[in-house]
Amino acid sequence: MARTDTVSPGVTLDEASVLMFLVAGKQFAVDLSRVQHILDYQAPTRTPRRPPYVEGIIQHKGRYLPLVSLRKRLGVEGPDPENPAILLLAGVGQDPVVGLMVDQVVRVLSLPAEKLLAPPPRVFGIRAEFIRGVANAGGRPVVWLDGAKLLTSAEPITLLA
Amino acid sequence: MQEKFLLFRVGGEIYGLRLRGLREVLLPDGVRLVSSPPHQVCVTLEHRGRKIPVIRMSALFEASPAGIPLTARVLLTQGQARPFGLLVDEVLEVAEVDPARVGPLPALATLLPPSCFRGLFTRQDHIILLVNEDGLGGLDEVVQFYAAGS
Repeated sequence: MARTDTVSPGVTLDEASVLMFLVAGKQFAVDLSRVQHILDYQAPTRTPRRPPYVEGIIQHKGRYLPLVSLRKRLGVEGPDPENPAILLLAGVGQDPVVGLMVDQVVRVLSLPAEKLLAPPPRVFGIRAEFIRGVANAGGRPVVWLDGAKLLTSAEPITLLA
Repeated sequence: MQEKFLLFRVGGEIYGLRLRGLREVLLPDGVRLVSSPPHQVCVTLEHRGRKIPVIRMSALFEASPAGIPLTARVLLTQGQARPFGLLVDEVLEVAEVDPARVGPLPALATLLPPSCFRGLFTRQDHIILLVNEDGLGGLDEVVQFYAAGS
């Protein structure tokens, strides 16, 4: 993977703080500043004719939030893990806060600019448009996702194994 | 001031219809399928000498189809000056709702027009989606039923 001085357009910083998590065994991250809360899984109320990657709605502190399955958004088939986590993300779409269901939260990661790379055209089958950058953690790649673009686009994605 | 809603079930979830929008609750006897599309979600019912369009809520909501259960009822209402019915799986009870406790339906929650819903409230740990009879009365299925002069 070629090193570049900057990552995806709009991302010029000395260090990025991200929250790293797992989906289908792969490491992903979202901008930590977007994460309001991390919740244990709660069964959603199924809403009628919802988008295929929306599980339904949950309630948190008096607000009703859509619950999105990142596994389904990335086209991962098969059963959900036993204890997924829910990240409450702000400012990633039309709704003020969205719940994003992931397999497992790992940790907060600080990514110095020199360790953050611009993505190639596709990473794990995900187009670069949905990726803010790629880094390395524990010898494995971490894909920093653009949550807003991922949740506002209807383009189907299939995560490659 | 509290508002009363009639709670009903479609598939595995509970919904509410504003009680002052409800005209009658009918048995689904005499419900007839409409032969020509696009009325896939709409059937008809003869009521007091006239044909009324009836929205099959399980079809509209893409809930489990499994025919019409014995507990099914037609909720006769009116929206946008058009009488129509809602065919639901089961009528439950009347609930009083404080309008201040009704929250908006998130945009991502459904692909149906937002006008079909009034919002959400929680009752005994259940989240209940409140339908809007005016919005439902504006659905293509109902509009085209009346436009066809049925």
